[in-house]
Amino acid sequence: MVYMATGDRDDVRVTIEDDIIRLKWTEGVTITEDDARAAAVLVNQISPDRRRPMMVDMTLTAAVTRAARTVFLEPGAASRIALVGGSPVDRVIANFVLGVSNMPCPTHFFSSAAAALDWLRQAPS
Amino acid sequence: MTEPDQDPRLDQILDLMIQFASGDMKARLKPSPARDTIDAIITGFNLLAEELDLMYQNLEARVAERTKLLRRAQKDLELLALTDSLTGLANRTLLGDRIGQAIVRSDRDALPPAVLMLDLDEFKYINDSLGHGAGDGVLREIASRLRSTVREIDTVARLGGDEFAIVMPDVTEEGALLVAHRALTALQDPIVLGDNSIQVTASIGLRFGMRGLSADDLLRDADIAMYEAKGEGKGKVQVFEPSMHRASVQRLQMVSELRQAISDGQLSLRYQPIVRLADGRIVGAEALIRWDHPTRGLTLPNNFIALAEESGLISDLGQWVLRTGLADLAQWGATVPDLGEFALHVNITATELRRHGLIDHVQRILDDFGTPPSRLALEVSGSTMITGDVSAMQALVELKELGVSIEIDDFGTGYSSIAYLRELPVNAVKVDKSLVAAIGKDDAQNAFVRAVLQLIESVGLRAIVEGIETANQVGELLRAGAVYGQGYYFSMPVDARQIAGLLAADLPLHGRDQRESTSR
Repeated sequence: MVYMATGDRDDVRVTIEDDIIRLKWTEGVTITEDDARAAAVLVNQISPDRRRPMMVDMTLTAAVTRAARTVFLEPGAASRIALVGGSPVDRVIANFVLGVSNMPCPTHFFSSAAAALDWLRQAPS
Repeated sequence: MTEPDQDPRLDQILDLMIQFASGDMKARLKPSPARDTIDAIITGFNLLAEELDLMYQNLEARVAERTKLLRRAQKDLELLALTDSLTGLANRTLLGDRIGQAIVRSDRDALPPAVLMLDLDEFKYINDSLGHGAGDGVLREIASRLRSTVREIDTVARLGGDEFAIVMPDVTEEGALLVAHRALTALQDPIVLGDNSIQVTASIGLRFGMRGLSADDLLRDADIAMYEAKGEGKGKVQVFEPSMHRASVQRLQMVSELRQAISDGQLSLRYQPIVRLADGRIVGAEALIRWDHPTRGLTLPNNFIALAEESGLISDLGQWVLRTGLADLAQWGATVPDLGEFALHVNITATELRRHGLIDHVQRILDDFGTPPSRLALEVSGSTMITGDVSAMQALVELKELGVSIEIDDFGTGYSSIAYLRELPVNAVKVDKSLVAAIGKDDAQNAFVRAVLQLIESVGLRAIVEGIETANQVGELLRAGAVYGQGYYFSMPVDARQIAGLLAADLPLHGRDQRESTSR
């Protein structure tokens, strides 16, 4: 079953598949604080009953602002987060998110969606 | 120089570095859609620059905040250094600055500043009787009232204790006098603190501005004028005149000479006998201090006691009198087999009564000479307001408990009131000579003195009548019920050796005989 939440935004898409929250940013977007906050609202809306593992697809994300990164510090519906990106750019952005911030739940970067899903599924739900 | 097959983004990265180096941390480079390693480096630089920029901004904000705190602290410190913490008024330093500024202004387009010095009358009584908390409350209220009496450009300062000053820049003599009288008026309403309503008066010295005078000159002159005002009684304004300066210098010189006199043996005691009126027998002697000044000659206490009180020398003087008098008394006791009820009478001022350790001191001197306390009578001037002065009253109670006789001196003059007789812990009252002078000449006066004596007797006190000069007065006083007296009729003040002679002879003292004997 796939639940979808996009709200009034077209630059981010939040779904639940196999009890895993999936968040995908539109290609080339620069994630600002507002964007991050809107995404967090969507995540909390789609998973209001409990915390779930979440996969964030950052492939083709242009940048994440400093202010947006602080939003990730706020505890939300995610119990652990896998950041997924294919390119060296994704890796740099993801590691800035990880390195600069003290994440509220276990968070890792993966270069493939399969490895990310494996890690997420290990989590006690 | 770009190599032909080099990726153009490397040049862009180079430019980005140069922008960063020049301090522009807002510069960014957009990664290409390729999202390869070079794009990853570009992204990394962008993110690092953002981090650095944010750190700078935080740092700058913190520095600005700290600087603001430092400035505020510095301002507070300045305020602390220039104001009186109790009242918030200017302190001596700030007052000096303001006078200085006013003098500078007067060199250009303004009148020279006037300085007013204000000292509360008998403020010590408030502290002593109601405590320092009440004293502080009074000072704060006075500060606020003084502030309301001055012009916008004037500065009110507290110089410490109960001393205030006002500098009035660019002021006429009339203007300065107006402020001085307004200040006196402002203090007229009682100050209410809790259940206490406190009446305060002040003495004011005023120094009109004059070109060529320094801040120190103005303050000194205002101070001198203030002391003159105090000398004239409470609640007075006195304007400085140059003659006061000479008087002040003389006063200072006299204080230093008096200090010298105490240590150099220029002081001596005379004793005026006190007799039982019925038989003329000597029952006591009042010690009277004399100063044999090297150039001015024999000086009477009226001329230096007030100065001794003002300058704080009164304690030394009082101790000297007590020790010398008791030494003489011990000498008389050694040569005369039976002193009977004889007592040495010594004058004591309210200032001395308030001195800490007075009781121990009196006890120690009595012990030193092996003198029973009952042989000592302390005469407290009736013109000094000591009712309501807790520490002075306490001293009187303790002295009386010690066994020393306490007497009110000069009763019937100044502030003495009937209330004194009931409130003060005393044994005897010395009736002032002014009440005696008209006795025998005027029936009304006879009746008045009789009433006073009855009043004293009715509260269970002994009366000693001072200033008896004629046999007629003795007769009238005996008829009025008086028991003890003192005066030229019996004896002028004589020296210790003569008292020893009188005691040894054990003869009644009578006017003419004694006057002849003292002139020997």
